[in-house]
Formats: sequence, C-alpha cells, structure tokens
Amino acid sequence: MSKHSAIKVQNLVKNFGKDDSLVQVIENASFEIQKGEVVALIAPSGAGKTTLLMMIGCVLEPTSGEIWLGKNMVYQDKWIAKDTRRIRREKIGFIFQAHYLIPFLNVLENITLLPQANKVSEADAKKKAMELLEYFEIADKAYNMSSQLSGGQNQRVAIARALANNPEIILADEPTAALDGERAVSVIKMLKKIAREQNVAIITVTHDERILPYCDRIMKIENRGIVFHEIDEDEVL
Amino acid sequence: MINLAARDIKHTLGKFIVTAMGVGMLLGIVLIMIGVYRGMMVEAEILLDDISADLWIVQENTMGPFAESSRVHEDLKNIIYVMQGVEKSEAMTFQNIQLPHREKPVRVVAVGYDIYGAINPINQKRLIKGRELKTDHYEIVVTDKTGFKLGEKIELGRNIYTVVGITHNTVSNGGDPLVYISLKDAQELQFLYSNKEIQNNIARGVQNSDSFLVNTIVATVKSGYNIDEVARDIRKWQHKSVYTAKQQKEILTKNLIEKSSKQIGLFTVILVVVSTIIIALIIYTMTLEKMKEIAIMKLMGLPNSLIISMIVKETVLLGVFAFVFGNIFSHLVYDKFPKLVVLQIPDAWTLFGVIIIASILASFVGVKKVISADPAAAIGG
Repeated sequence: MSKHSAIKVQNLVKNFGKDDSLVQVIENASFEIQKGEVVALIAPSGAGKTTLLMMIGCVLEPTSGEIWLGKNMVYQDKWIAKDTRRIRREKIGFIFQAHYLIPFLNVLENITLLPQANKVSEADAKKKAMELLEYFEIADKAYNMSSQLSGGQNQRVAIARALANNPEIILADEPTAALDGERAVSVIKMLKKIAREQNVAIITVTHDERILPYCDRIMKIENRGIVFHEIDEDEVL
Repeated sequence: MINLAARDIKHTLGKFIVTAMGVGMLLGIVLIMIGVYRGMMVEAEILLDDISADLWIVQENTMGPFAESSRVHEDLKNIIYVMQGVEKSEAMTFQNIQLPHREKPVRVVAVGYDIYGAINPINQKRLIKGRELKTDHYEIVVTDKTGFKLGEKIELGRNIYTVVGITHNTVSNGGDPLVYISLKDAQELQFLYSNKEIQNNIARGVQNSDSFLVNTIVATVKSGYNIDEVARDIRKWQHKSVYTAKQQKEILTKNLIEKSSKQIGLFTVILVVVSTIIIALIIYTMTLEKMKEIAIMKLMGLPNSLIISMIVKETVLLGVFAFVFGNIFSHLVYDKFPKLVVLQIPDAWTLFGVIIIASILASFVGVKKVISADPAAAIGG
C-alpha cells in the first residue's frame, strides 16, 4: 500500500440474503484511491453504487474482503475498528443528493456540530467554519437557517459541513443531482479544488455526465466488479 | 456543545407550546382532582374544628352523629357535665334539610345548638355579616353559598325564619352548606310530629314520641385530665358510644370519604398514565418527523448519546412546560367548581416529580426509535 493511498479495497464481496435468495451485489472488488484524487462512481441503477459507498463509509458491513482507510485496516472479513461511527466522525465527510442540513440549526451550527462532537472547542470550530464559509463565499449567511438559502447555497454549506472535521475522504452521493448544469459544474470544480488543496480523496456517485470530465478517474461497476477509466485532465480543464 | 433540544424546540416553538398547553390542561385536571380530595379533607374537618369538642357522646353502638344516625336524650348533657374531668357539655343536632329558595331549593345541613349554652358551633372568624342567634326561635344563620341575604325570610316546616347572620366557608363533611338554628327549633324540625301524625299515632296506640332528643352531646375536658380516660368513664357508666375529636376525625376522613378519596386517587393515577402515554405518543411523532435528520447525524458519526440526549431533553422540557401550563390552568378554574378545591404547593411539587419521571419514561419510545434508526437511510434520497 502506497503512502499516498487514501482508500484501498481488496477482494470486497457483498451479498444480500442467503441460499436460494442470495444476491451477490459486489464480487471481489479491488481498487485503490490516492489522496487528492476525485473519482466518479458510475453504474446503472441497482448495480451497487450506494452499497459500495456505504461499505467504504463504514455504514454497511461487507460480506468479506478488506478495506483500508489511510494507513488503517478497518475491515478484514469483520470490522476491525470497534467504533465505526468514530471513524466516520473523524475521517470521512459525507455529501448527499440533497443538502440535508439539519433544519433546526443555522448554517454555522450545521458546520460546527460535527467538530464539536469531536471535542473541538466551540471557538475553534466556529473559526474553522467561518473560514470554510468565506472560502465558499457565503460567510454572510452564517446565521441564516437553511430554509432561507437557495439550493446552490445550501449545497455549498453541505460541502463545508463535510469538510469541517478535516476528513481524509469525502463520500458524495450524487451531489449535483438537484442542481442545474452551471451549478453542477461549479460544485464538482469546487470538490476538485478541495481535493487538490487539502489532499482529500473524493468518491462521488453520479449519473450526471456533465461532471465526469472534471473527475480524475471513472470507476464503473460492471458485472459486479470494478473497472476504471482514466481521464486526461488537460482535456477538460 | 450545541443544545440540539433547545434549537429544535425554538424551530417549532408554536407547535411545542400548543402541545404543552394541551398536555398541561390534562395535568391541570390532575391537580384539580387532587385539590378536590384535599377539599374533601378540609370540609370534613371544618365543623369539627369549629365546635372544638374533645368528646362526642352518641347513641350506644353507633358511629354518630355523622356516619350513622344517633339519638340521645338532651338531659344527658347534664349527666355528662357532672362527670369527673368534664369542663363543658352541650347537646347538638345535625340534620339535612332543603331550604326553599327563589330559584331552586338549597340542600343544607342544619346545626341545632343551645344559644345560651357553653359550646358555640359558629366560628366568629367565619361570620362575615350580621350576628349570631339571639333568640330561641325562628332565627337562622346561613352560609353565603346558600344565596340568602341578611334579613331574608325562609319558610321552614310550620314556621318562618329570618336570616340574622351569614358565614363564609362553612360546609358539612359532605360539602353541603351549613345553617345554624336554635336547639329548640331543630328539635321541632327533627323530632316533633304534626298534629295529624300525633292523632294518628294515638289512634294506633303509639305513645307520643319524645321530642327532647338530640343527635349528640359534645363535651370538653378540663386541663390536666386524660381525654381517653374521661371517654372510658362515660362509656362505662352511661352506656353510650364516645369518640374523641381525633377518633371523630378518623370516622369522617377515613370511613366516610375513604371510597371517594380512593376513587379520586384512582382517577388521578389513570390521568397521569394517560398523560404519560400522550407525551410518549407526541415524542414518538416528533422523533418520526426527525428520522431523516437523525439518520444523517448517525451517518456523519454523531454519537447516539448526543441524539438521545436531545430526545430526552425535549421530552422533559415538554413535561416541564405542560406542568407550568397545568398549574396556570388549574389556578384559573379551581374556584369555579361547586365543591371546595384546595390547591397545595406540596401536591404540585409531587406532580412535578411524577411528570419528570413520566417524561423520562415516555422518552424511551423516541430513544428506541433513535437507536434503531439506520444511518444508511440518509443515502440514496
């Protein structure tokens, strides 16, 4: 495993059901994603994109195989990490199809919630959150509720929230699905910039072909296995 | 750390307040039920306290004069008076009567007493208008709840009585208003038959009945004498049932209102259980409404303790708000009830404790839902 590896998956298998009703969704998937890399995960509906994302995110337990996050093996035929939620809290940022901000918290509180759960002081969490909001040019919305923001602004807050705990990995589930073309491209460009600047590995599930050229690689689930397509960065940027 | 419960409540403040008011009205009824019980206890003791007798001498083998019918001769008071240790003794009658009123008859308990006697059942502090009885006949002191005015004439039996005094807060152990008449009038009302009845009795060979009867003799004991010993002597020599003031209170509070108090107690318990179930259902619904957010929080890695603390705090706050509204509601309506309702601070604090425990129990349904929430539900729309 290289020292730049953010995610490494070996012979990962995920089955649902058993005996006659056994459904094999992922079969011996092996791949490695480097820090700073943006990878698009594409496949037809029902092929196992979300399942794969949830296994990497320590939400869904695989059937067998190995998962490494950074230097740590978190799964080898069973969870090695005792507290998978802590791994998510400390190492992974999530971005969803919709922004899914907590509606009863304002923008700043949405971003500082996770760092504070990680025992970061309120002052430090707020400072970091304001830096992120300034980075995404929505610092003036810090004390607004999500219901007072536009769709694009909310999605930027959601990305800021995913970055608030300085994650090594960002797992995004169709983050541009609810956005128009211009905004979708703007979001993926933003994610790519973050990946480069903060050395974060990003896997984004997508059906949106508009954003594919901005990713470093395309990871396809074909016949329950993983196939990669390289993209020449110079062609699109 | 961000107080998630406070933020969530602030976000849906109107809904939260209305919900708390609804539960609060239920708790208000609980407080009033307890107040009705307290009122019964207070009412049961008003007459006993006003008379302030140490001993109640009644017909042998009865628990009179309130729990059972009792008849003793009026002159028994003189025999009791000369017994060792007795300071004062007087004869009294108690009877339920209906007074004709402008709107509808008023049911009262009439206390008959010797207006020249040593024991006066009218508590001067409760006499708010007029005066006590001054003549042996046709005067009456009524309580303000009867609705009669000073100087008003009331037809009672064969005679017309004049209201000479009005008292406040004087009720019998059953909650009926008290009126006071002279012993002679009371004996006429209770024991004297009409002329036709007397003629009929003579025709039947029945001897004329004695109208010099009373329901009880009350007595006080000289200082330095043991009340129980004086009571024992009266029982021994006069063949009467004798109750000390403490025993009479027990008869009134335990024997007479025991079933009522049990009924109220059971009703109160049912109301508290219903309130707990309602709070649990509200919290369950509130948790269901937040399931997406809870799944997101769990997916992001927030510890269960943080989310559970939000649910428990919200439930307890709902209980606290409901308790406050319940108190306000009960204090607004308690004096509208026909019977005495006594709201006591210790009862309110006890209910507060019960509601806090009930809220914590009710929060378990929400907590269970939180624990079972699947973080994967946050992914995939």
